[in-house]
Amino acid sequence: MQPIRWLWGCADKKSHVRIIAALVISAVTSLMLLVNPSLTATLVDEVIIAENPEPLLGILAVMLIVKLVREGTRYLMIVLLETASQNTVYDLRRILFAKLQFQDTRFFDRNRTGDLMTRMSADLDWCRHFISYMDYAVVDCVFMFLGTLILFFCISWKLTLCLAVVTPILMLITKLYSGKVRPLFVAMRERLSEMNTAAQENIAGNRVVRAFAREKYEEEAFERRNAAFRDSQLAINKMWLSFYPFIELLANSMTVITVFLGGFFIILGEITPGELTIFTQLSWALSNPMRQLGNLINDTQRFATSATKVMELYYGRPHIADRSDAVDHADMQGAIAFKNVTFHFDRQEVLHDISFEVKPGQTLAIMGPTGSGKTTVINLLARCYDVSSGVVEVDGCDVKSWKLQQLRGHLGVATQDVFLFSDTVEGNIAFGNQSLTEEQVHDYARIADADEFIRKLSDGYDTLIGERGVGLSGGQKQRIALARALAMEPRILIMDDTTSALDSETERYIQEQLRHLPFPCTKIIIGQRISAVKDADQILILQDGKITERGTHEELLKNRGYYWETYALQNDLPVEGGAA
Amino acid sequence: MARNKFDQDEVLESPFQWKHLKRAFQYIRRHRTQMLLALGLSILASIASLYTPKIMEWVLDEAVPNKDVQALLHWAVIFTVLIAISIVFTLIRSRIMAYVSQEIIYDIRKDLFHHLQKLPFSYYDSRPAGKILVRVINYVNSVSDILSNGIINSILEIINIAVIVVFMFSLDVTLASVIIAGLPIFIAIVWILKPRQRKAWQMQSNKNSNYNAYLAESIDGVRLSQIFARQEENCSIMKRLAEACRVAWMRAIYVSNAVWLSSETLTQIVFTFLYIAGVYWMGGKIVSFGVILAMGSYVSRFWQPITNLANIYNSFVNNIAYLERIFETMDEPVEVADAPGATQLPPLTGEVCFDHVNFGYEEGQTVLQDLNLHVRPGERIALVGPTGAGKSTVVNLLCRFYNLRGGKITLKCADGSEQDISQVTLESLRSQLGIMLQDSFIFSGDILSNIRYGRLDATEEEIIAASKAVCAHEFIDQMPMRYQTPVNERGSGLSQGQKQLIAFARTLLSDPKILILDEATSSIDTKTERLLQQGIEALLKGRTSFIIAHRLSTIKSCDRILFIGDGGILEAGNHEELMAKKGRYYELYTAQMQAA
Repeated sequence: MQPIRWLWGCADKKSHVRIIAALVISAVTSLMLLVNPSLTATLVDEVIIAENPEPLLGILAVMLIVKLVREGTRYLMIVLLETASQNTVYDLRRILFAKLQFQDTRFFDRNRTGDLMTRMSADLDWCRHFISYMDYAVVDCVFMFLGTLILFFCISWKLTLCLAVVTPILMLITKLYSGKVRPLFVAMRERLSEMNTAAQENIAGNRVVRAFAREKYEEEAFERRNAAFRDSQLAINKMWLSFYPFIELLANSMTVITVFLGGFFIILGEITPGELTIFTQLSWALSNPMRQLGNLINDTQRFATSATKVMELYYGRPHIADRSDAVDHADMQGAIAFKNVTFHFDRQEVLHDISFEVKPGQTLAIMGPTGSGKTTVINLLARCYDVSSGVVEVDGCDVKSWKLQQLRGHLGVATQDVFLFSDTVEGNIAFGNQSLTEEQVHDYARIADADEFIRKLSDGYDTLIGERGVGLSGGQKQRIALARALAMEPRILIMDDTTSALDSETERYIQEQLRHLPFPCTKIIIGQRISAVKDADQILILQDGKITERGTHEELLKNRGYYWETYALQNDLPVEGGAA
Repeated sequence: MARNKFDQDEVLESPFQWKHLKRAFQYIRRHRTQMLLALGLSILASIASLYTPKIMEWVLDEAVPNKDVQALLHWAVIFTVLIAISIVFTLIRSRIMAYVSQEIIYDIRKDLFHHLQKLPFSYYDSRPAGKILVRVINYVNSVSDILSNGIINSILEIINIAVIVVFMFSLDVTLASVIIAGLPIFIAIVWILKPRQRKAWQMQSNKNSNYNAYLAESIDGVRLSQIFARQEENCSIMKRLAEACRVAWMRAIYVSNAVWLSSETLTQIVFTFLYIAGVYWMGGKIVSFGVILAMGSYVSRFWQPITNLANIYNSFVNNIAYLERIFETMDEPVEVADAPGATQLPPLTGEVCFDHVNFGYEEGQTVLQDLNLHVRPGERIALVGPTGAGKSTVVNLLCRFYNLRGGKITLKCADGSEQDISQVTLESLRSQLGIMLQDSFIFSGDILSNIRYGRLDATEEEIIAASKAVCAHEFIDQMPMRYQTPVNERGSGLSQGQKQLIAFARTLLSDPKILILDEATSSIDTKTERLLQQGIEALLKGRTSFIIAHRLSTIKSCDRILFIGDGGILEAGNHEELMAKKGRYYELYTAQMQAA
């Protein structure tokens, strides 16, 4: 089975040794279970019937030792398997997390958080369960079954053959049931993921839910998922129960065949009553593994379903990754050039034939209507997506030839959608650059005009702010995001609508501060307000993915186009005569 | 506010209490008929299978020695019938119990989710979302089996033990005492292990919750991590969290497995002593051969259920750590709830009155002090002022997202009555208010369903009309699948401004009597903003509106502009009045005009 081979490949050498050792223990100890019943027979014959107490202590001591050794090694076995499974899952968590961290933006556009969470928690847990339990459960069953069969065969091959007749039937049932139950497990896994998504979005969007008083609607929607999940579990149970009678009958047939056919064989003189006693005393060793079969099939199918999901992540390759011929750049000057760049997202053209150049240290501003592709320009520069055609160059070198970490390590982006982490304010500012001293963190907060309000928070810079910085106003979040971008000490500073929620006084203060940064950098400013963009060396107007105007503030005003119109609207000038 | 971070363990407030069990029992009690039926069926099934050894005995002792093939067949049929009966009973029991266990987790999850819908923002603000999520999904799944089959099986095992004890003592009191003598030792061992075990599993659930919290946050913030080239650092944090999970798990494993190890060992020791005692007495002809054989078999038949019970107990202790977390969440106080006897809010006129309102988010903090405000129906109010002055707070209080510290807010209704917002149901209050929040959350689904969230029974025409009013129709129409284009939480393909427009359409669609726009157009370009303002002009007629904006040009035409600062209203009046006043608003406005 492929998932098993994959999981085995994920385990390291030490885990392999542990697993093999544990499975050997499992095999041996499952056979040891047959020892004590045989010794009991000896005890009965030689001590009690013979009324001879002499061998009693010896036999009891052997039995006690067998038991202690068995249980002791079983404990060891469990520890070995738990260790191996924990180590493997630990490795997998790390590997998969790294995979997620390096997956490209498109991957996250497609996959819901709830589903990824399911893979990283419930699905991984089934991989753990496989190593820590299922493998030895299977070995136990197989060895107990086969061991007993061999023992029986030595006593009476005829009766044993009659017992072994059920084996092919058992295999047939296994195959049939596995095939039927597999799609049900796949469905159940989907329902779980859907339920996870519903809950996750409800938590993430709890403000919107409250605002629209949609609690009941959300509850109903969640209940549907909850019920669908329940029903998918019940469907599996129903399928299992339709097979259960047959498996149980087969398991019991071991006893029936032993007793009645055995009885018949005694009548025929084929076996002795003493031999049949061993058969009857050990028939559980055949029927118990068979009873286990159903659980094992269920677990196996559940494991296979989950492992497949995990494997998708494991083997997933980001489309955007370092090329083998990526050039090493020790530093970045900050020169940017877009050459005839076109970009499509889902067959929709977002950017069309964009060309511009920015020299190191210059400021570029981009302005344009909602959805005109301003943020996409940034995404292409940071190589979150690859261009459909054309070239994006940084320092005269195609961004595709940069090493991603080096390229992005020199960018400082104050994103439009302010995402903050549940960490301290200081931790959030130093997010991209942990080597900063406390003093530097405060300096950058000061540049972003955040120092003052941060100090007023209950624990100052050590205040824990919740995910997404809830509890902070929009303007406060934006300033922390700006400080975070500055803390990168980037060669290219990108401010994507960073000052939209700030009052003009604050905006002006920040603009003034940005002129005297302690490090040289090229700046890209995306903004809607004239005040935010007017001082740029070059202003681009982006409309419908095309550059329609470019130039300095003065040049664009003369142009009387979109820029002038916006200027007029924001300054309460009459717009008539403009290119509306 | 006690906030929690992904790598901080959440301290469980209350020690282990039986009330958790009692509470769990309430979920079980709803299914007591089914569970009793299942229990009955299990007992019947085990009685049926109790007879099978008897039949085997008869067959081997009588039919076989007599070479009576007829009797052999006769017994074989009876034997098979008994097994079949037992299978049928077990089958029905399994089906019932599958339902019961699924219903129990369905109910717990439903109640948990229901409670989460009532919890205040501060609950969500003070902990990572992943920690809440893991309780709703993973923890609830974990407790299902223990609360259903776990209980039935423990009862069965206890019955088993009781029956065996009766049998044993009726056979031989002394030997029976030997067998039972091991029990206090076992109980002592379990007792000693219990606190360690509980602690270990609690630790494990904490570490697991931390792991999930960081995971969720990392997935949501992955774009940022990538742009900041932070992946390596994040991976080392994850490594630490995964390591903590592993260590905690292994610690729990060592302790937990000691339970069965000791019960298996004790079983054998008891067996040894039983035979020594039996043979010693037998030497004095006290105990018969048959008795000692029977007692020997009772050792395992007595200790097997004990071991089983120990295992059930084991997973119980393991799962109680989850159950505690679930109930802890259900016990989170609901801060903003319907007052007892809260009434439905009648249709509003749009008149709003803030009467001596005091408020602070945390104890001792003052955001608003003695705020008084009277808003006429249909009036358009703008709230301006420095960042963090409390503009959003004013509207948050109107929506009753938080309770006031003092004063009251009343709304005039069409029937002439005046209603205190704290005395009406939250649902009836908020459904008459349309609030456009600063962050525009997009649910996974299509664009249509995201807008329809504002009013569930809206027709497609109404949705398109709302989209047109806010200038969203144009870009939606250009998308590959138009209104059916799938979107998700992270927006996939939507710009921030487009998300804002969708959220705006959603708010408008809800057809509110009072409209609240909190930085509704901050990410939208000026031209679209103007078009949008014209587009919604007709829709705003007759509605009271509160508008928070930093771009003063967008609010100039409002009926009244309130300058918020120092915990109250510093200036109020229309644009012209405030400009003439040459106060704070004048400063702010001229500064903005100069900047442009």
